[in-house]
Amino acid sequence: METNTITNAAPKPQKNMSPWAIARRKFVKNKLAMISSAYLLFIIIISFLAPYITTADISLVQIGQMELPPSADHWFGTDKSGRDVFTRLLYGGRVSLLVGMACTVAVTIFGTIVGSIAGYFGGKIDSILMRFTDFVLNFPFLVFVIVLSAILFGQVDGVWVLILVISVLSWGGVARLVRSKVLTEKENEYVLAAVSIGTTPFKVITRHLLPNILSTIIVQSTILFANMIVVESGLSYLGFGVPSSTPSWGNMLKASQEPDVLQHMPWIWAPPGIVLVLTILSINFIGEGIKDALNPKSYR
Amino acid sequence: MLKYTLRRLLGMIPMLLLISIVVFSLAMFMPGDPLGGEIDPTNSDPEYIEEMREKLGYNDPIHVQYWTWVTNFVQGDFGKSTQYKVQVSELVKSRMLNTLFLGISSIVITYIFAFAMGMTAGRKAYSKLDHFIGGLNYFGLAVPNYIAGVVIIYFFSFKLGWIPFGGSHEIGLQPGTLEYWISRFHHVLAPAIVLGALSTASYTQFLRNDIIESSRKDFVRTARAKGTSESKIYNSHILRNSVIPLITFLGFDIVTIVNGAVITEAIFTYPGIGTLFLNSVNNRDYSVLMTLTMFFSLLVLIGNLVADLLYGIVDPRIRID
Repeated sequence: METNTITNAAPKPQKNMSPWAIARRKFVKNKLAMISSAYLLFIIIISFLAPYITTADISLVQIGQMELPPSADHWFGTDKSGRDVFTRLLYGGRVSLLVGMACTVAVTIFGTIVGSIAGYFGGKIDSILMRFTDFVLNFPFLVFVIVLSAILFGQVDGVWVLILVISVLSWGGVARLVRSKVLTEKENEYVLAAVSIGTTPFKVITRHLLPNILSTIIVQSTILFANMIVVESGLSYLGFGVPSSTPSWGNMLKASQEPDVLQHMPWIWAPPGIVLVLTILSINFIGEGIKDALNPKSYR
Repeated sequence: MLKYTLRRLLGMIPMLLLISIVVFSLAMFMPGDPLGGEIDPTNSDPEYIEEMREKLGYNDPIHVQYWTWVTNFVQGDFGKSTQYKVQVSELVKSRMLNTLFLGISSIVITYIFAFAMGMTAGRKAYSKLDHFIGGLNYFGLAVPNYIAGVVIIYFFSFKLGWIPFGGSHEIGLQPGTLEYWISRFHHVLAPAIVLGALSTASYTQFLRNDIIESSRKDFVRTARAKGTSESKIYNSHILRNSVIPLITFLGFDIVTIVNGAVITEAIFTYPGIGTLFLNSVNNRDYSVLMTLTMFFSLLVLIGNLVADLLYGIVDPRIRID
């Protein structure tokens, strides 16, 4: 009993803040980034809780309720098939965000693997991998995504095809970035020390190199997330993305291709457009915030 | 420089061959049979179909088919469009001019806007105007072109009636007349602005930062000390230094325009190669599809090459390795 009180009374040693804690504090102080995070979190939560928020059936076609302007019953009105725009917006967000996240994760992981191997080993492996990366980067991205999704369409579940196709064609940028970062990082003495005591290349890369370039990867993947959402919606807008039976923000925007809808029914295409722009803006602001927070040279 | 250029040009050939293999295999994997448009649809006699297949070379081994396609392609014979029943080369040529017109207009508009905004923002750094331009830039980078296009059509075409909402020119005008060209400019304006928005934003950002950086340098202080007028310092001394790195962006512009043309032309129903491409995918028009995919790839390769070469001119150290 007595010993207990003694240990409690001992003054705690003054602890320095870890780099992550400093970064977190800087990020919290950044107003724009915090507002953006709140907005993004809000969109993510209501999108993924969509089935609990609205009970309306997304695929139900109601003949009597077509093309209704916004009202208390239908907050954002109904579209040409009598489906509630608000409900579709929530479900659409789910698909758009899911595709964006899945592509970002896939691209980041694959790009990091290729880039770190090429950068660490150098020589022949490097030149082979980088030739391959150049090859992928030299494709006109949108054109090949459209051709590929036209081929694979209908063979597997549409959303996953889209994720696969986008990811396969867009890892080149991350690979190049990670490679250049690894190239400069591996010149450091701690890497030499790790190698000299017999650490395996796998461990050197995962334990020593990657943690040190993690901040670059995080910032890059935030930008990537915004880009992937843009790509998904753009493809869906053109009719080569998510199958039209599944609502996504891009699919909803596609309705604006009919001049009649574009001219007289802005409530059908404006909500997904506004939500999409705000989402992309907020992701960009968060990215800037993270970049600033992780940069030890910036004081805010 | 000549040696470097030649080496880079030669380096393009294996890349093009690889791309051609990929394009060819993709076309092979496409569902449906490209035969459809070539034969008499009323004649369903299996013998006749088999004969036509043999005649058109669909029964040859794959590598023979590939070789025939590549050699024809290099000689400028792109085959016949199954949808439009004309030579692909003619079809592409007529549409290509429209896209070229759109692309050049977009680059010109980009330069005008970017220089005006970048120079103002750089000269009046951290002022209200600078922040306003910075905000505009943020929108230019964040708003996807299809949303910008839709909003522009809604407000400027339907609400205000300032611009037409589709096509490349007024129907019934004689090509070559002044009215025809005015109509063409009128039609290309909105798509060109949308297509150039992304580049405009990045140019402006770059120019602004570069001008601010240069304005602190010694040569500017010297010029000021000698009594050079402020506008002359900014317009000739500083700008000249900032324009050089900006030139290297031109290569990437080609890539951006190639990728952006597909979507921008679709929004404004502009009859260029982008809409032709989308049509060919939807209608399984293989010869058009393969030709255009090769074309786009070639343009991207050229764009990257131009970027690298311009880098080499601006920064001679790059040429060495």
